[in-house]
Amino acid sequence: MNQSFKAPIVHIHNLSKSYFRETLEIPVLQGLDLDIPSGGFYALMGPSGSGKTTLLNLIAGIDRPSGGVLEVCGSNLNQLDDDELASWRNQNVGFIFQNYNLIPVLNAFENVELPLLLTPLTRTQRKEKVEEALTLVNLMDRLENYPRQLSGGQEQRVAIARAIVGNPMLLVADEPTGALDAKNADEVLAMMQKLNEEFGKTILVVTHDPKAANFARHQVHLEKGVLDKTVEVNR
Amino acid sequence: MLFFFGFISLIFVGYLIWLIYAVFKFPVPFVYNIRSLWQRKSSTLTTASAISLVVSIFIVVLSLAQGISKAFITSGLPNQALVMRPSSRFELNSTITRDQARILKLSPLVSKDGNNAIASAEVIVIKLFNKADGAGSNITVRGIEPRGISMRPQVRLISGRWFQPGLSEVTIPAKIQLRYPELAVGRSFRMGGREWNIVGSFDAAGSSFDSEIWSDVDDVMQAFKRDDYSTVLVRLRAEKDLRVFAFEVENERRLQLEVVPERVYFKELTKAGDPIRIIGNLITVILTIGAIFSAMNTMYASVASRTREIGTLRALGYRRREILASFQWEAIVLCTLGGLGGSLLSLLADGIQTGTTSFDTFSDISFAFTITPALIGQGLFFSIGMGILGGLLPAWRASNIPLTEAMKA
Repeated sequence: MNQSFKAPIVHIHNLSKSYFRETLEIPVLQGLDLDIPSGGFYALMGPSGSGKTTLLNLIAGIDRPSGGVLEVCGSNLNQLDDDELASWRNQNVGFIFQNYNLIPVLNAFENVELPLLLTPLTRTQRKEKVEEALTLVNLMDRLENYPRQLSGGQEQRVAIARAIVGNPMLLVADEPTGALDAKNADEVLAMMQKLNEEFGKTILVVTHDPKAANFARHQVHLEKGVLDKTVEVNR
Repeated sequence: MLFFFGFISLIFVGYLIWLIYAVFKFPVPFVYNIRSLWQRKSSTLTTASAISLVVSIFIVVLSLAQGISKAFITSGLPNQALVMRPSSRFELNSTITRDQARILKLSPLVSKDGNNAIASAEVIVIKLFNKADGAGSNITVRGIEPRGISMRPQVRLISGRWFQPGLSEVTIPAKIQLRYPELAVGRSFRMGGREWNIVGSFDAAGSSFDSEIWSDVDDVMQAFKRDDYSTVLVRLRAEKDLRVFAFEVENERRLQLEVVPERVYFKELTKAGDPIRIIGNLITVILTIGAIFSAMNTMYASVASRTREIGTLRALGYRRREILASFQWEAIVLCTLGGLGGSLLSLLADGIQTGTTSFDTFSDISFAFTITPALIGQGLFFSIGMGILGGLLPAWRASNIPLTEAMKA
């Protein structure tokens, strides 16, 4: 699953994002410059309203910037239309959400299989990949279970399996431990660390939790939509 | 107007083709929609029940209109014609003298059985029958010549015997007996100042003759003090002789009568079903609007409660049109479930014998509700239409929720 990428996987220059409330422009991000190398593990930190989730959404192709350069996984996201962006997300980004965002009417196997249904893989190939991903998160014995039959930690591990099943270059996580107890949070963070160190995945995590941020190798601090500082974590 | 409806139909068919394409090509698993409907059992059942009711009414209305049409359309033979007074439109309004009837039977174009013309001079009168519960209706009494029986091959004696001339006897359709038990074989009733014995019952295979009491033409004319026949039914040697026969009858100075092909005459009578069809359609339209709103409401609620799921699917790479098709199919499945329920419900009406009044002749028309596979197919197609209309806006909403908004839900 290792990916090599010479250029930074995320290249941001003079990035800005504003929202409009009627005619009132509300700037959220301003003049942001950031490069994230391939295989990096970055934590985006900052107080509420600092723009960290907005930045994550922009990098993940969920939202569009108001200005600046945004190149992720070799694509200039400003130039992609809606369909191209959807396809790009499917091929390049794995998502891990605070509330897991599993589809309640699909079992673990079906949830993990969802991103693969958009690929030309055969049913057998999909099955192999889903089982590989669920094995990696130690949930092979739960593949028939529905989300309601799983604990919070197990649900988040299914979500991680879904995020990695398509072998994306980039994993983005928005408060991935926000809904978990300490033990499960540690398990999930350790799993993300393993994905970064052993499988070379580039990981970008938004978190308030300093303990969670310490699992990353770099911490990016935002303050009122502006990059405050980038700190390397010493382990 | 035609262009407008043609354009709308074209869009509808195009959209349906696209949806069918989406089933095979788009990746959102169908099981996702089926299980989502199952998860919301109560709202799914409530909406499906409302749609069931509408579809069953739709099918029953169609069945009713079809029953009336069948009663008339199956009543005529292609080489037979009714000779009537010009512009009389209905047998009841027509008069033909005995001399005219005699001249008609002498036409060389009329089929012969030996030396006898295959023709029947007939008289139509209306008799009001009251049921035991006080409700009554006008029933057509047809006085015919004995030859008139064999000229209606769909008519079959099923009990007793045919009436005999000169004995004030009648033979009654079994379908009328079902609705008027007092008209059983062996009993009698008063009509035209005399007592009439019921000596047999017949079945006319769903044709309009199932709504008529038959007796001897001379007996009926005497009882009702009529000097003239109403019509003469003639069988021609071949269907192609109809035009020549009509020309001769219209231009013969002693006749100057109108010739109406038997099938054309009865086809015209199918318009008797129009008022029922119009009222039925009106009720169906009103209920349909309600059912569409019900489906729409259910689907809107479903979309609202699944906003985060929609956001997740979009984030994973599913495109707007794939979400649109997925939710649209969910609405179609919901309404088709209702359609299946409605089809089953409508089967309860199958075979029920009933009657209505023709506004042309003010007499009773007996017919049976017949729920055919074609009608059920129309009902299901109707429910799919409701699914498309009821699901379109919620599905559109689902596919157009801004992704960032959906993720926050």
